[in-house]
Amino acid sequence: MRGLRIAAWAVAIATYLFITLGALGVADAFTEVPVAYVPLIIVAFLMPATVGLVIAIHQPRNRIAWILLLGALGPTLQLPLAVLLGRGWALQLDRALWPILYAWPVAVAFVFPNGKLLSPRWRWIVLGAAASFGGFIAVALFDPAAFYGDDAAVRNPMEGNAVAGVFGGAYAWLSLPLLLGMLGSLVAGAVAIRIRLRRSVGIERLQTMWLAWSAALVPLTLLLCISSGLLGLALGITIAEWIVFPLLMLIDIAVAASVGIAVGRYRLYAIERLVNRTLVYAVLTALLVSAFAGLTIGLGVLVGGGSEWITAVTTLVVAVAFLPLRRRIQDMVDRRFSRARYNGVRRVRTFEDEVREGRRAPEEIGAVLAEALGDPSADLRFWLPATEAFAAASGDLADLPDDTRARTAIGRDGARTAVLLHDSSLLHRRDLLNGVLSAATLSIEMARLRVELRLQLAEVEASRARIVEAGYEERRRLERDLHDGAQQRLVSLGVQVRRLQRGLPRGAAVLSPALDRVVEEIGGAIGDLRQIAAGVRPARLDDGLSAALVDLARSAPIPVDVEVPNERVQASVEAAAYFVACEALTNAVRYASASRVSMRAVRENGTLLVSITDDGIGGAVVRRGSGLAGLQDRVAAHGGTLAVSSPRGRGTRVEVAIPCAS
Amino acid sequence: MRIVIADDTVLLREGVAGLLEDAGHTVVARVGDAEALVSVVAEHEPDLAIVDVRMPPTYEDEGMRAAAEIRRRHPETAVLVLSQHVESNHAVELVGSGGGFGYLLKDRILDVDEFLEAAERVSSGGSALDPEVVKQLLVPQAGDATLDQLTPREREVLGLMAEGRTNAGIAKHLWLTERTVETHVSAILGKLDVSGADGHRRVLAVLAYLRSAA
Repeated sequence: MRGLRIAAWAVAIATYLFITLGALGVADAFTEVPVAYVPLIIVAFLMPATVGLVIAIHQPRNRIAWILLLGALGPTLQLPLAVLLGRGWALQLDRALWPILYAWPVAVAFVFPNGKLLSPRWRWIVLGAAASFGGFIAVALFDPAAFYGDDAAVRNPMEGNAVAGVFGGAYAWLSLPLLLGMLGSLVAGAVAIRIRLRRSVGIERLQTMWLAWSAALVPLTLLLCISSGLLGLALGITIAEWIVFPLLMLIDIAVAASVGIAVGRYRLYAIERLVNRTLVYAVLTALLVSAFAGLTIGLGVLVGGGSEWITAVTTLVVAVAFLPLRRRIQDMVDRRFSRARYNGVRRVRTFEDEVREGRRAPEEIGAVLAEALGDPSADLRFWLPATEAFAAASGDLADLPDDTRARTAIGRDGARTAVLLHDSSLLHRRDLLNGVLSAATLSIEMARLRVELRLQLAEVEASRARIVEAGYEERRRLERDLHDGAQQRLVSLGVQVRRLQRGLPRGAAVLSPALDRVVEEIGGAIGDLRQIAAGVRPARLDDGLSAALVDLARSAPIPVDVEVPNERVQASVEAAAYFVACEALTNAVRYASASRVSMRAVRENGTLLVSITDDGIGGAVVRRGSGLAGLQDRVAAHGGTLAVSSPRGRGTRVEVAIPCAS
Repeated sequence: MRIVIADDTVLLREGVAGLLEDAGHTVVARVGDAEALVSVVAEHEPDLAIVDVRMPPTYEDEGMRAAAEIRRRHPETAVLVLSQHVESNHAVELVGSGGGFGYLLKDRILDVDEFLEAAERVSSGGSALDPEVVKQLLVPQAGDATLDQLTPREREVLGLMAEGRTNAGIAKHLWLTERTVETHVSAILGKLDVSGADGHRRVLAVLAYLRSAA
């Protein structure tokens, strides 16, 4: 590790040194380049070298760091070699080493951002690319062709060398397939970036986007190269090489900078904005340049010849058009290229329409947000101020999970209504997140209210059922106490009086009738107690609803048919059904002048259905405060229903349905 | 008569034991729960076991279940079950299942003579069914008009028959002569279409009739 770090320092320092040599003019290297471009060239080499060094210091084994370091070093080697070997070699190396400027960005494209190839099959593509670039450089090194232009006088050190001699006149054609291979490698690099963009998510996707942005400059270079060539042809100015070279330098700077940003993760998330601006200005530039060219050529043809006022007019037109055009293009780019936000907001609106039409439930907003944000891990939790807890759309109360997901609070006027858990990469796509969330505010609030209401209702129902259950238990205990406590003591008291009475000496026999009356009173008290206990809860319910109803039927003064299966359900449900039957029977006897009653019960799909039918006068209604109304509440507390149908003159039918477990 | 008593209320248990002893019977064991009852019956093989329906530990129907078990395992021991409240189903079933079984509400003890008579009747193979239960049995049931054919006096006699009383017992209870009672009985049996049974079998026939009508 230490050795690698030292090597990285060495490579970087060598690059700085050679660049400095070139800049100081020690080596007569920048022959074909205007002096104005020198600072650009220096940056184009310093950038990858520095980025590579910084990465290598932190991660000495990072492949990308070494691609940058060596990519920067490679072309600069011509400077010391030029010093050592003279101008002929300097020119020859200059001709041979330029593919390295393309080679290392392609290498970065293959392995970015994790340092690994997409799949083992890509090895062959890499080998092909290496062969193309390496082969081209080798062929160029041995190129015996003479230099041209200002350097025509300089002798090519490779002139008439043996290797080139073997191929003879065909040598010049050797580099053509290799050039095509290099172009193919550029395309393969672009394909690799595209595949990664499609496969990756989160941070890795953003990193790849940075690289894609800088890589997009390559076709832009070619495009501008061609258009400037055409413009040059039209205006008779040769500006092509003036544009191509600095653009190539810009690509190297941009790729190195992108790698630095992507690896360093500083301002990683600004890529969307950058892409947006790049698009706006690229389109704007293209339009303005074509307008400028079109007007110049058009006016030139009309008026004839180049004149200053033509340039002035076209410049004025372009300047006036700039601002409104920029706004138009910005709108268009936003609509077409901030697609995520545009689509996300539209999805939320569509959902709101569907809710309004009753086709979807507001609680589904969480799933819709996950779709709209393109984040399957997104999870909406509603805040319930009353219980001070979070709830999922299902109504389950749960703490926020402690995971790597980011949390974004949603609310109006400082009051929190919900929290969205989502992938942390969304935090830096504020436009998407804020746009979608503000579009969904109303839906979220509505869903939250519904969840809260449902939970509160469930709680009220549960507490009502608990109260009824407790009431039932209380009745049961009271009934026991009456029978086993008070009644036992009364009987026992009576037995003692009887023993006393039977043990009276002859002389005291006059007391006997009085004691008889005492026992009689005790018997009356026991009878009263028994009546009270039966009203509290019939003891026969211990043996089930069927037994209790049969007993009830037996004690009735009119014939009662009972058809009740002998199965058990919860005691409190049986009691509720029993008391309804009891009340209905009492009403039938007391008010309906019924001559017969039938009671039926059946259990169906977890519901106990009981019906009590009489042949009385009918016309019964459930009045507030009546016995049946009380029972209606009691049945409802078990989640059941009680219905009375009583057409005048055609009897009364009371029907109860109570959910029961078993 | 050798008797065991099972009741968890000590005061009542001792009171009943006193009454029985005053009447010349021997109380051989007094227990407070069903388990102890079954074991003392096995030990003493008494003529009669007087059993409270509700006893520890659950205070539900331990006494009733112990009674059924005693009848099954010790047929020579008659059982008189005392209950705090009316449970007609069980009672009719047990009384109707054979002689030597009685079911009375607890407060019937206060009518000491009747109680002693019922105890003696049960221990000698007869039966005793609480009048309250019988009253429920005698409610006319849907689809059967037979009971309506009986005169009020005959229905009274039918009830006493169902309670397990003998003709002599009925006669004494109603201040009638035995002959008159016999006349009523044969009229009732004729109307109910129950063949001329005698003794306990007569009770069974009457109960069977009333149960089938119910």
